Amino acid sequence: MTDVRAPETDPFDPAAERDDQPRPAGGAFGLGGWLKWAWRQLTSMRIALILLFLLALGSIPGSMLPQRGTDPAGVQQYFASHPALAPLLNHLGLFNVFGAPWFAAIYLLLFASLVGCVVPRTFRLAGSARSLPPRAPRHLTRLPRSAVYATALPPADAVEVAARVLSGHGFRLRRPADGDAGHWVSAEKGYLREAGNLLFHLALLGVLVSVALGGLFGYKADRLLVQGDTFADTASALDEFHPGRLVTAADLGRFSITLNRFDASYIASGPQRGQPAAFDAQISYTEQPGGPVRTGQLEVNRPLSVDGAKVYLIGHGYAPEFRVTDARGQVVYNAPTPFIAGASGNFLSEGVVKVQDAQPQQLGFTGVFVPTAVDVGGTLESVFPAADNPAVSLIAYAGNLGMNTGPSQSVYQLDTGGMQRLTASPQVLLPGQSFRLPGGRGTITFTGYVPWVSLAITHDPGQLPALICGIAALGGLLLSFMIRRRRVFVRAGADPGGQPPQSTTVQVGGLARTDASGGFEAEFAALAAELRSACEQAARAQPAAHHRHEEE
Amino acid sequence: MLKALSSPVPSASGPSSRVRRRTVVLAAAVLTGALLVVALVAAFAGGGNSGVTEIDGNASAVVYATGHRPLAPDFTATTLTGSTLSFSSYRGKVVVLNFWGSWCVPCREEASALSVVAAQYQPSGVSFLGVDVRDTTASAEAFARNFHVPYPSVSDTSSLITQDFTAVVPIAGTPTTLVIDRTGHIAGAVFGTATYPELTAILAKVTAKGG
Repeated sequence: MTDVRAPETDPFDPAAERDDQPRPAGGAFGLGGWLKWAWRQLTSMRIALILLFLLALGSIPGSMLPQRGTDPAGVQQYFASHPALAPLLNHLGLFNVFGAPWFAAIYLLLFASLVGCVVPRTFRLAGSARSLPPRAPRHLTRLPRSAVYATALPPADAVEVAARVLSGHGFRLRRPADGDAGHWVSAEKGYLREAGNLLFHLALLGVLVSVALGGLFGYKADRLLVQGDTFADTASALDEFHPGRLVTAADLGRFSITLNRFDASYIASGPQRGQPAAFDAQISYTEQPGGPVRTGQLEVNRPLSVDGAKVYLIGHGYAPEFRVTDARGQVVYNAPTPFIAGASGNFLSEGVVKVQDAQPQQLGFTGVFVPTAVDVGGTLESVFPAADNPAVSLIAYAGNLGMNTGPSQSVYQLDTGGMQRLTASPQVLLPGQSFRLPGGRGTITFTGYVPWVSLAITHDPGQLPALICGIAALGGLLLSFMIRRRRVFVRAGADPGGQPPQSTTVQVGGLARTDASGGFEAEFAALAAELRSACEQAARAQPAAHHRHEEE
Repeated sequence: MLKALSSPVPSASGPSSRVRRRTVVLAAAVLTGALLVVALVAAFAGGGNSGVTEIDGNASAVVYATGHRPLAPDFTATTLTGSTLSFSSYRGKVVVLNFWGSWCVPCREEASALSVVAAQYQPSGVSFLGVDVRDTTASAEAFARNFHVPYPSVSDTSSLITQDFTAVVPIAGTPTTLVIDRTGHIAGAVFGTATYPELTAILAKVTAKGG
């Protein structure tokens, strides 16, 4: 390996990049020494990777065990089914892994490690991007690329000519200082590589900060909205709410959205029959309570921006409307009930109706909504997703819904454990038709249907900064990979053995530290040839210059 | 494959490729770490508020000290029986405001406790009002009949009333019960299922202090 030693810190020196080796000063460690050593360890690549691994390992129980934050009912069930193990796991914080102190310790250390690693590198790179090339080595012919030529110019002039040429090529130059001996010039090019590297590191820090912003101040939520209904962006109106760590219920947007109308059209013929052609959700919304009501349209992949949040249309379905009267003749249920489309296609949808305040017993129904119903051998099938011939098929239950105590229930599931099935076969109803429950328990009427949409609401203040920083990081990485940092040195001296007209020997040496993309050999050869011809031209012009000089 | 990996590398590019490899590994580590870290920067719960007294050491039932009581927003809404009700008409009285829904399991659990407390405190001038969240009139009325709820409720199908209150107290869901003092400020709250001891403890403080 070529040894180019410069007195000052050489940015090319790999030792300067090596930050994963503890370098204790002296033999004895003081407290400061130990702290310094600990900090170096923490910010080393090895420790960062170990912490990353620990973080991944620590997340495993978080995904395998029910967590309090997301599934409190699951935790209760786990306690009931594992009475011996659950308290121990609870003591270790395994039901709240992402809030456990040991987990916080890991990620805080990792964060410190990453920042501690990136920040000093950034400073070093900034220094390196501003640094001057080192002094020219004594023996340039030992460099990977070198050329030697003789010239009639005196050494100082030969170096001056070379400096002009190199400067014209955009090299950064260094000339001998007062104490330096000899005639030489050092030139360096490709500082953009360091700038790219610097950009990459700064952008990485930017990505860290942006993602932190999003994680701390952002939120994600879902809401199913039936046509004609309004919802306000507040925790209790959301079906799913995943707030960032520093988001409280009071930080949510203050907008509200009404679904005025939803239309879905489908391809009616051909091989694509039944595929969606267009969705169109007509909404009206207010940014602030009491603010002006605006109207808008929601389409797939065209979210509504409202009050700092984005509202996406992510799904739709049918909500059949039912009216239920109980044994006493009271209307105890009268509402559109969202059903969810199953995997069988053509929007064959399933759902449940819970009539928790029917008397004398609670009533429950499991149902299937068939938008375009066709009787195939005694069972209903849907042959088209549009509601051209809607029908519902219901199974009725009476008894205890399990809703008077205990954990919250899903609105899409019926716990029939405490209930008695009232009919042997499912009852099929067309719009307007009723079914009288056996034993005088009441009546259910299928009064119609309305569409619903599901909306995803996201607020991520770090999204745009993260995108910008990501692009900047990529750009910086490309710059640092594609640009070579290369140096050219020119040294001229009187040649004791040279013939009178060619009394000066000029040595040109060059090296590229990062020759991954190749081409330095050709660049150096062309540069050396240009330096030589510039010297020859200057030598030819010199007598005239001398002459002019004498005239003055 | 092994041979290709161990093939001699030009000596000049050795250290730089090592540095570059390290940079790439570092980049990968930093990016992965960043994503993980921040996805999981999820451990710091907010600190305690001053001016808040917990009932029985339970953070879900609190009394706010005078001066720390947020002003309750006003609203005008339709009751389940169809009449219009303005919240400002309650000014000058202590009001127990219960956010509930017929679909909500803990609301059914607390219903009898609320009814008992209402029967006990209504004669001494405390008003009770329900806010029926994300519900339909038929289901809500059936609930009120079943549990013999001795006070009216306004309908908040769209959660707009809840949203207004959430701007001043952290209502995370249903049920939530607020106790509003005679000046219209929120003096106490039960987040989650309200119990008889919690409600009476809060009411004892608020009715006494209000003078």
